[in-house]
Amino acid sequence: MAMDHSGEVFVFPRWTRVVRPAIAAAVAGGAIYAALVVWLGFSPRATDVGYAPEQPVPYSHALHVGQLGIDCRYCHNTVERAAHAALPPTQTCMNCHAAVRKGSDKLIPVSTSYATGMPVGWIRVHDLPDYVYFDHSAHVSRGVGCVSCHGRIDAMDVVYQAEPLSMGWCLDCHRNPERHLRPVELVFELDWVPEEDQLALGRRLREAAGINPPVDCNTCHR
Amino acid sequence: MPSLTNPTAPNYWRSLDELARTPEFAEAVRREFPNDEWDRLPPATRRQFLQVMGASLAFAGLTACRWPKEEIVPFAHRPEERIPGVPQHFATAFELGGTALGMLVTSFDGRPVKAEGSPEHPDSRGALSALAQASVLGLYDPDRSRRLVLRAGGQEFAKSWDDFAADLAGWTTDDGEGLAVLSGASSSPSLHRLRERLLEARPRATWFEHESLSHDSERDGLRAALGRPLRVLPHLDRARVVACFDADPLLEHPAAVLLSRDFAASRDPRRGAGCSRLYVVEPGYSLTGGRADHRLAVPASQVTGVLAALAAEVMARLGMAVPEGVVGAAAGHAHDALVATLAGDLVAGRGAGVVLVGPRQGAAAHALAAALNSVLGNAGTVVDYLELADPDRPSHLAAVGELAQRIGEGSVKTLLILGGNPAYDAPTDLRFAELLRRVPNAVHLGLHDDETSRSCRWHLPQAHQLEAWGDGRAWDGTITLQQPLIESLYGGRSAIEVVAGLLGGAPANGWEIVRDTVRELAPAADFEAWWRRCLHDGLIAGTAAAPVTPALDLEAVSGLALGHEPPPPPTAAALELVLAPDAKVHDGRFANNGWLQELPDAVTKITWGNALLLSPTTARELAVAEGEVVAVSAAGATVEAPVHVLPGLPRFTALLPLGYGRTAAGEVGNGIGVSAAPLRTTAAPWIVPGVVLRQTGRRVALACTQDHHAIDRIGFGERNRRAAILVREASVGAFLEDPEIFRHMDHHPPLEQLWKEGAHEGEQWGMAIDLNACTGCNACVVACHAENNIPVVGREQVIRQREMHWLRIDRYFRTPQGVAADQVEDAAMVFQPVACVQCENAPCEQVCPVAATQHTRDGLNAMVYNRCIGTRYCSNNCPYKVRRFNFFNYRKRLPDVAKMQLNPEVTVRSRGVMEKCTYCVQRIEKARIAAGNERRPIRDGEITPACAQTCPARAITFGNLNDPASEVSRLRGDHRSYATLEELNIRPRTRYLARLQNPAPAPAAAEPAGGDHGKETA
Repeated sequence: MAMDHSGEVFVFPRWTRVVRPAIAAAVAGGAIYAALVVWLGFSPRATDVGYAPEQPVPYSHALHVGQLGIDCRYCHNTVERAAHAALPPTQTCMNCHAAVRKGSDKLIPVSTSYATGMPVGWIRVHDLPDYVYFDHSAHVSRGVGCVSCHGRIDAMDVVYQAEPLSMGWCLDCHRNPERHLRPVELVFELDWVPEEDQLALGRRLREAAGINPPVDCNTCHR
Repeated sequence: MPSLTNPTAPNYWRSLDELARTPEFAEAVRREFPNDEWDRLPPATRRQFLQVMGASLAFAGLTACRWPKEEIVPFAHRPEERIPGVPQHFATAFELGGTALGMLVTSFDGRPVKAEGSPEHPDSRGALSALAQASVLGLYDPDRSRRLVLRAGGQEFAKSWDDFAADLAGWTTDDGEGLAVLSGASSSPSLHRLRERLLEARPRATWFEHESLSHDSERDGLRAALGRPLRVLPHLDRARVVACFDADPLLEHPAAVLLSRDFAASRDPRRGAGCSRLYVVEPGYSLTGGRADHRLAVPASQVTGVLAALAAEVMARLGMAVPEGVVGAAAGHAHDALVATLAGDLVAGRGAGVVLVGPRQGAAAHALAAALNSVLGNAGTVVDYLELADPDRPSHLAAVGELAQRIGEGSVKTLLILGGNPAYDAPTDLRFAELLRRVPNAVHLGLHDDETSRSCRWHLPQAHQLEAWGDGRAWDGTITLQQPLIESLYGGRSAIEVVAGLLGGAPANGWEIVRDTVRELAPAADFEAWWRRCLHDGLIAGTAAAPVTPALDLEAVSGLALGHEPPPPPTAAALELVLAPDAKVHDGRFANNGWLQELPDAVTKITWGNALLLSPTTARELAVAEGEVVAVSAAGATVEAPVHVLPGLPRFTALLPLGYGRTAAGEVGNGIGVSAAPLRTTAAPWIVPGVVLRQTGRRVALACTQDHHAIDRIGFGERNRRAAILVREASVGAFLEDPEIFRHMDHHPPLEQLWKEGAHEGEQWGMAIDLNACTGCNACVVACHAENNIPVVGREQVIRQREMHWLRIDRYFRTPQGVAADQVEDAAMVFQPVACVQCENAPCEQVCPVAATQHTRDGLNAMVYNRCIGTRYCSNNCPYKVRRFNFFNYRKRLPDVAKMQLNPEVTVRSRGVMEKCTYCVQRIEKARIAAGNERRPIRDGEITPACAQTCPARAITFGNLNDPASEVSRLRGDHRSYATLEELNIRPRTRYLARLQNPAPAPAAAEPAGGDHGKETA
């Protein structure tokens, strides 16, 4: 049986009538899916949060801070005075480990460094872009707790990035600092929770100290 | 507008091309991208486009989701008081030509990145010269020599210091026979001590001192006039009349930083009619000449004559008998008007004047100046004389001549050259490079394996001043300590260590040498505490030389003047060539410094090279034009140099800066400019008579920044119309009569806002630039360059108007109204530093499509590099033309060692990004954080941008406009305060303070809105 197709340019088989809407739905759905992948998958919340590189020494904050209760500032002692919360020199480790767990294999990089003077090459976990100038002292001295940006370090065996550290995330706090303000003396208490409403406390502290974080570009970019 | 209707208002212009409206200038103004050929290239084909796009996409795919892993390497043992990332400051010294300037160097994590003036030091007092600041870049020069080289049998061998010591031991004899040492001028007490010890231990050894830019004529002159060589220390802040004869106390002088500050103090308008008056007689524009109230351009050889005429006039007015020698030398130099006015002023202001003579002039001129300062009673009040540490040494020229003679005789077996580059800069008639090859064992200690090293048997790498211990003396004699900021990068050693090594047995460690030297000065009690105090201050307090009051020997002055026989005045067939020290590369030692090479010369605004300067009249009469290469011949030697036409030179005088045309300076400095050294002889080291110019028919482009950013024809015409209100000037008299004179120079319709204005609360930053203090010395430009990681773009890019300096110093010439373009010999010079003025209604912000330039709440016009997509609309819309665009990634090929200089507080910009002055926002943020941490407001003066910090004349003031007590608020309320382009309603945050001239009241030829100016021509 011959059909006359002379009036048509293309002839699709009959079954395509079923497939065509499915293709349309797939294309539309795919676009949404791709957008979502880019939106969510490329956001710092997906790419950076949870980043936990392997360190040359299996140092456990959970053990040293959580169990032994060493203050943050015992090692990161420049945090109140400088932009960098400097990693401790090997000397600081050896203050205890000259006696404690002296022969442990895990401490070989530390004792080697102490003996040779060559540094231990730690891997940076919280790595901001080079054009961002963050200052620890400015935040710590105004009552932003360590935990606000770094999470519960005292519970981490391996340190990972707990927050996205993206520009939008920084600005959220710079615009509404009361959500994260605490009394300055409690900045280093990682497990502290306010007894009252955080927002009420934050507003009161903000008012008292006149905290008005700038949101100008050159606050962080110079 | 009064300035436009006033027919007597002066005319301001930036260059001769602009004034004469040459076709080249018109073409440059017409084209959107001057000197730029890229818009004429054939269009890229579609295939090329796809290739480029494909490559870009491929690279995009290669980039991972996360940036590379970064290591943190903490100290194993952190030094006490060391906080990672927090800069430390150390006091040290920068010695140049025998004068040590105190520096305070900023070091980030062990890397020195920025040099500023040491506030305690008597010469720098917190400010620093351009050269001293740029020495930081010299430390990281990738072309510095990194090893010892032994040249033998036409081959080069890499050697160690031990090899050198062993080799040297075979050459030296116990009595020092055959050993000679050649050092540069040095005021180091340690070097002097070691020299004495060496000459004691090896009595037959000889020591010579040579500096090519020598100040020895002053020694000779004062030896005659005052009985012994002395140092002249002028106190310009006490002066009411300053007369400079071929002297440049504001730039070339070794203590120029100090003198600039003192001079600015003497011109403080708060002194009212007590402001100083500056007279300058010189053969070519110096910065001092640019600041002069009366200037006379005379050939360099005739300056002594004019000075003699002045001396005769002054002595006559004082009722003294004029010695016959002075009369003789003055013959034919009765430049009546200026000499009479100056003599009158000096006599009237007895005891409050000063006559200064520069190093180019001979002993007779220096003796005459000493005589004038004595008879006028200026000595002891405005001029102090100080004893020298080494009064008996022969002059530098005599010393190098004697050394050459000894080498010629073959009596020098081992020659140790401590720094310097005599093969390049010793007088050409000595043929020093050839002589060096005849020395069996010539040893050169130098930062670079340079011209001299290549003629020597040994090259030793020298430690940079920032790598070594040392000492020196300030201009007033204060012992200044030099401490290393960093371990020697390439194992170099300092001069004192090498000499100590020669002595053997003695400690060869710079630290011990310097401590041993100064130990005798310490109080008996506690040396270590005293030493730490001295190191902290960078100097040993109380070691300044005490002023002496020598007696004047007028007979000797007369005799010297009588013996002064000047060559005849120059003619077209026998020009006079003046050789001048260069303000950027000095004697050539800074030729490989990119910051200095790219710095526009203070007067000519030429970068990357030098040029033969001729006045417009001379150029016309010799039929040579701007950029034309001419052959300059004198005494059998010829060099070829491009011509730059500049007003302010006398007829038939040419001026050529020294220090260029290096052949072994390094990758940056090789072949830049032309070397004037072949024209420089022992007989005529500065002023070369009988010079002949010959055309070569070639032309070269000079990388001169003066005509850059000329906008378009309409804008240009408008700028020309407004120049007199952009740089406002008046005489002190006119200003005292009518303090509002500067406000009335410009009237515009009332300025109204289109939209509701934001509140200006909290700190609001602003700046005031005092044109009355600014000398145009360029120190601020280098400070900005160093602080803000500004790239060096190179000669070709500068020619394309792509220089990156955030801060430029505009030079204007001023001529009285109605002077024709070819009659501008006597144009006066005005400088105006221009950086981003941080408009409140910024035109740039309104056109950025991506909001990459934004206003901050403290009133800054912030530039956000990571947003910028490089449309350049902002630059197009900027009326000040202060925005700079990165056409390339200028950092891409920067060697690692050079990256160590970069300031970690400032982002390094990449290609395609706009940048501009930020008011040093990194310093603002640092102070804001520090103040906030301490819960206190920011104090006035706590924030100083790099330019203001280093200004020798303290012309720049920065502060909070909302604080009525701040210095900047006070200055903005001053009668002299005005804003440029105010009528555009852009509300600039940087305002200027108008410049005051202080001309002598003249019976005729008064200029209401400008200074009276020396009209005489030679």
